Amino acid sequence: MSLRVLYTALVIAAVASPGQSSVPAAPAPQGDEAALREAAAAGSVPALLEIAELRSRRGDLGGTAEPLRLALALAPNSERVLAAYAQTAMAARAPGQALLALEPLSRMYPSVAQYAYLLGVAWMQLGDPASAQPALERARELEPRRPLTLAALGIAHNQQKRFAEAKQVLEEAIALAPDDAEVLGVLAEAEEGLGDRAAAEAHAKSALERAPGQATGLLVLGLVRMQEQRYAEARQAFEGALARSPDTAKTHYQLSLACARLGDRQCAAREVERYQKAQRDVAANLVTLRTQSLENLQTGEPLP
Amino acid sequence: MTKPRWTLLGLGAFLVAMPALAVEPLPAGQLFRDVTGAAGINFRHRSAPEKKYIVESMAGGVALLDYDGDGLLDIYLVNSLTVDTATSPTTAPSALYRNLGDGRFVDVAVQAGVAYPGWGMGACVADVDGDGFQDIYVTALGPNRLYRNRGDGTFTEIGAASGVEAGGWSTGCGFADYDRDGDLDLFVSRYVKIDLASLPQFGRDKTCQFRGVAVQCGPRGLPGLPDLFFRNEGGGRFAEVGAKIGVADATGHYGLGIAWIDTDLDGWIDLFVANDAGPNFLYRNKHDGTFSEEAFPTGVAVSEDGAEQGCMGVAIGDYDNSGRPSIFVTNFAEEYNALYHNDGAYFTDVSFRSKTAASSLPYVGWGTAFFDYDNDGWLDIIVVNGHVYPQLDQARLGASAPYRQRKLLYRNRGDGTFDEVAAQLAPMLMEDRVSRGLAQGDFDLDGRLDLVINDLDGSAQLLHNELKATGNWLLAALPGPGSTRDVLGAIVTARSKGLAQTRNVRSGTSYISQDDMAQHFGLAAATTVDALEVRWPDGKRTLVRELPANRVIVVPAPVAAPAR
Repeated sequence: MSLRVLYTALVIAAVASPGQSSVPAAPAPQGDEAALREAAAAGSVPALLEIAELRSRRGDLGGTAEPLRLALALAPNSERVLAAYAQTAMAARAPGQALLALEPLSRMYPSVAQYAYLLGVAWMQLGDPASAQPALERARELEPRRPLTLAALGIAHNQQKRFAEAKQVLEEAIALAPDDAEVLGVLAEAEEGLGDRAAAEAHAKSALERAPGQATGLLVLGLVRMQEQRYAEARQAFEGALARSPDTAKTHYQLSLACARLGDRQCAAREVERYQKAQRDVAANLVTLRTQSLENLQTGEPLP
Repeated sequence: MTKPRWTLLGLGAFLVAMPALAVEPLPAGQLFRDVTGAAGINFRHRSAPEKKYIVESMAGGVALLDYDGDGLLDIYLVNSLTVDTATSPTTAPSALYRNLGDGRFVDVAVQAGVAYPGWGMGACVADVDGDGFQDIYVTALGPNRLYRNRGDGTFTEIGAASGVEAGGWSTGCGFADYDRDGDLDLFVSRYVKIDLASLPQFGRDKTCQFRGVAVQCGPRGLPGLPDLFFRNEGGGRFAEVGAKIGVADATGHYGLGIAWIDTDLDGWIDLFVANDAGPNFLYRNKHDGTFSEEAFPTGVAVSEDGAEQGCMGVAIGDYDNSGRPSIFVTNFAEEYNALYHNDGAYFTDVSFRSKTAASSLPYVGWGTAFFDYDNDGWLDIIVVNGHVYPQLDQARLGASAPYRQRKLLYRNRGDGTFDEVAAQLAPMLMEDRVSRGLAQGDFDLDGRLDLVINDLDGSAQLLHNELKATGNWLLAALPGPGSTRDVLGAIVTARSKGLAQTRNVRSGTSYISQDDMAQHFGLAAATTVDALEVRWPDGKRTLVRELPANRVIVVPAPVAAPAR
């Protein structure tokens, strides 16, 4: 599962999360600062949240930090404030910041599946599937038939190499969303880990039928071909996966192995270098995600 | 207990009687009895209880050898110091337990002159000077020791005089005649560059925290040390040539367990190094006195995901009786222990397919061995575990087990897969401990392989194999006490009832430890070995046919050893 796919899941999650009620039209920027000062002086949490939301709609994600922090200082246990903070941070790809709100939210509102789910997704984005797993399991208990939650839990299990557990939840997800190519690909990954080559190949092919070029499906197909010692076909599958998802370290590494077995030492060496670069990039990205502060946000999706 | 026969092929036979201890038999189906106390072994490894520094978490090797040439396996347990006792080497003596042959052992380390190696880490064994007696090399934080066996029950420390003293923080070691010039060379892996006067402060930054809890720093965030290769120059002198021959690791990866292994069966021995928190090394022997590092293209550098794992110990074994040695590596928690199957020119990570990986995920693995505990002709696997952070028990554990951890025992099903059977076969393996070194050998020559385990800051264990339903066996000693023949790197193949089993004689195994060099074969129902073949390090071969089972065989070398 690449971070890109997780981001996609995140955007879906953010769209579906609470606090997306109708938003008034954005005022002109020049009036915004004065309104902020006025709201802060009056101690009006709703006004501060409104300003944050308006700034987000303008694409000024960094500008949402001050009103959100002011609101958080005034009402640290407010569900609405915490949810807005979490939502902003998640949409802005700052899961480290989102945790600051999602941890208390999921404790205070243990029956809200969405908070548990978002907490799990935030941990996943931070590269910590072990921490994500209990949150996602709680979300699954609360909403057992939500494919998105089941898929995220399956991914968390896969990343921890708990393939049997992954297969179980992913089969539930597939039963609910049988045409979801991403989930089919991840299920194939679990089956390949379990050594069930035939099932892995079948589900990888199903994923590719629904989404030609799907990276996880091609990766799994490549792994199966490696086991069969059909290295040229494995290489082709890995190259296809990298065309769709060029920064996946595992695929570069496996491609290097395929090239080595085909006697193409140049390709093998090149792919080891690319794999190592991808590893470094992922590590650097995780550091950014962990340390990203709202004030420094420059990119990300605006709030819906 | 059976009374095994030692048979020196072609030269007659002699008996070694091994009286049994008067104890209740184990219940049917039970594998091990902990005989540590009954055997007189009371060794306790020392370390600071808080483990505030990484130097206090990594020690605990064990070596099995027959130091006095009586045909019985003795035990050397390495002890270590702490930051507080670093200048007082006598506070933590290492132990040399002499096998008395009646189920009991006596510690003779002080008399033998091997009790105080300093801040000891691990050990390996070889007859370095070819005098027929096994010598001991001890790795350490500080100068390493080479204890030359004088043949009279005592040793002389000649590390500095021989040029193998090294320095820094050494961990793994192993001897082999890599250039086939007739003498033994030595590889030493090294770990972290550390200055006891300026230790990284406990919990000081992100690299010194684990799941939000302050812990010891390292290895990540600390500089590593290059590894060392000591080429035997003759005359009792070695020269460090690591950089010259391509095994120095100038970038300073964190080296731990090592194994000499002829991966491609070309008669020139290669070298595998398990690195903590980094890719492993596989040095392929180029037959010209140099090596090329090929872990990535051969598929043993990292996990199947390409993840660098925290690799600790190494076991080498032909677990599928293909004739090719495969590699098993123990790793950190939330990483899987890796089984790299030898396909010939390459290796394939079959960890999950072999069903050895999933059960290993919660544990930090260290000592390990391939060993056929039930003599069915298929090599099984043992792994000893224990975390490095005592503070872990206050942390959010995630998928990781706590500080003290159980062991793992895998039964080889003979089809490329394993079952984890510790709970069913050996309940004492389920006891939570903090284990490090492990070595295997048959202490009472009953044909069933026993284990010795060195625990960090804890008591050692001698686990006696008392499994009743076992197959027949053969123990091949090459070439036996008193011989000056170089045997390291020899490949021994036993054929019986259509099954060909292959073993390698090596110095340095497991996690900074040393297995018995006698090679054990489980024969299942076969009552004879149809053929036993030894391929000696110099390429010569010895072939013996129709050997009766259930005895120790001493295979004589075909010619006299070359002068060292």
